[in-house]
Amino acid sequence: MKILKSLTVLSLILISSTVSARPSEIEMADAMLENGKIYVVIAVLCTVFMGLVVYTIMIDRKLSKLEKEVNEK
Amino acid sequence: MKHWWKILAVILVLYTIIFGFLIEVPALPILHESIRNLFFHVTMWFSMIILCGVSWVYSIMFLNTGKTDHDIIASESANVGIMFGSIGILTGMIWAKFTWGAPWVNDPKLNGTAITMLIYLAYFVLRNSMDEEQKRAKVSSVYNIFAFILLIVFLYILPRMTDSLHPGNGGNGTFSDLDIDNTMRTVFYPAIIGWTLIGVWFLTLRVRIKKLSYQRETELINNNI
Amino acid sequence: MNNIIFLIKKEAQLEFRQKYALGGILLYVISTTFVCYLSFRSIVDIPTWNALYWIIVLFASVNAIAKSFTQESVGKLLYLYTLTNPRAIVISKIIYNSGLLIVLTLATTLFYSLFLGNVIGDLAQFIIVAIAGSMGLASVLTLVSAIAAKTNNNVSLMAILSFPIILPLLITIIHASKNAIDDLGWSVNGKYIIVLLALNALITTLSYLLFPYLWRD
Repeated sequence: MKILKSLTVLSLILISSTVSARPSEIEMADAMLENGKIYVVIAVLCTVFMGLVVYTIMIDRKLSKLEKEVNEK
Repeated sequence: MKHWWKILAVILVLYTIIFGFLIEVPALPILHESIRNLFFHVTMWFSMIILCGVSWVYSIMFLNTGKTDHDIIASESANVGIMFGSIGILTGMIWAKFTWGAPWVNDPKLNGTAITMLIYLAYFVLRNSMDEEQKRAKVSSVYNIFAFILLIVFLYILPRMTDSLHPGNGGNGTFSDLDIDNTMRTVFYPAIIGWTLIGVWFLTLRVRIKKLSYQRETELINNNI
Repeated sequence: MNNIIFLIKKEAQLEFRQKYALGGILLYVISTTFVCYLSFRSIVDIPTWNALYWIIVLFASVNAIAKSFTQESVGKLLYLYTLTNPRAIVISKIIYNSGLLIVLTLATTLFYSLFLGNVIGDLAQFIIVAIAGSMGLASVLTLVSAIAAKTNNNVSLMAILSFPIILPLLITIIHASKNAIDDLGWSVNGKYIIVLLALNALITTLSYLLFPYLWRD
């Protein structure tokens, strides 16, 4: 579940770059990241997640093979 | 195709990751962008409760039927539930440190999570203290059923009953319905389903491993006889 | 019904002959209260008074009930269980343990307020909260003690198992008793007391349903 950790860290980095002492405006990350950088974040996270999914699928397949072996005996 | 739900799980979580960052979220003080954490931290909690509910149901079914399979599912789903719970607590502490100032505050939701983890850790201590399979399964099923019902009472019923005395969950403590407007819900609900299905996938993997190891054991015993 | 009354009488008789459980618990309570007295001298701060009181009651109760299922030898247990319905056994144990804990709580109230100062606002309400609370504690601890009795290491396991489950009940008890000490009246506290009694009924019902699965060995 590295996804969660990187996600929360990234979101926090987003905030810390926008949080200021002014109480009147609530700054969000829109202007800064909407124009391109946010897609990098999304791409990285998708890669991480798909990597973990592929790993899980490989475990699943190994298990199925083992089950077939044991049931054929 | 019997793996359809796994594909659904992956698609839903991918959808959560992509759109969780792209959709417009309400701009709230203190939280700013971290409100997007809702899709990743709170969903862990939901998955944990659902999996512990599965554990409860299979404990009841084991007491009725006596089939070892049911006991395997009961214990493995509690296991995956604890894993989600731990991740939920860790992500919650990170989030709280930056928004509330401290990793742990005196909040009913946090107390509830702590009690949940303690109950299921005690469940595993209980299981490990007994060697005989049938006895272990029976005794731990009784504990599971008892503890889960009291847990639900504590988490959902007690706060309601004393609601007229204390203001409830509103304000800065935890998320109430004020925070989630309709745009967030479009990602939040699929996220819950997606993460829970991922949890179920891990559960099925663990159950298959357990069953295989039991089969190997009985084979070894039969070969030695 | 008759079985239950018979079993309760049997437990009470055993108790009178040995005076083991009751005497031991009272001694435990007095000793702990005295140690607190020596360290605190007098507690005026109400939340502290309340919390310490219930901590003492909790640990004394866990000790008291931990022995309830392990005291009897295996042979006697089998004989007993072939005679009567397991449900009668668990109900009788719960009733007996409730009685035990009520005595314990009242004794603790006496000694505690004697040594550490009497800050209780509404005494009648406090005693009602204490009785309702100790009955709830008795029912939870009886079932957990039955579960722990099935394993081999009872002492620490009983504490580990009971602590998370007891916590919801304990939080309600502490709220209700603090309200009673602050003398907030029945309109405020009535809700908590009803919750306590409802929890007690729920736990007893669950024990009644689940216990037969435990003793069938």
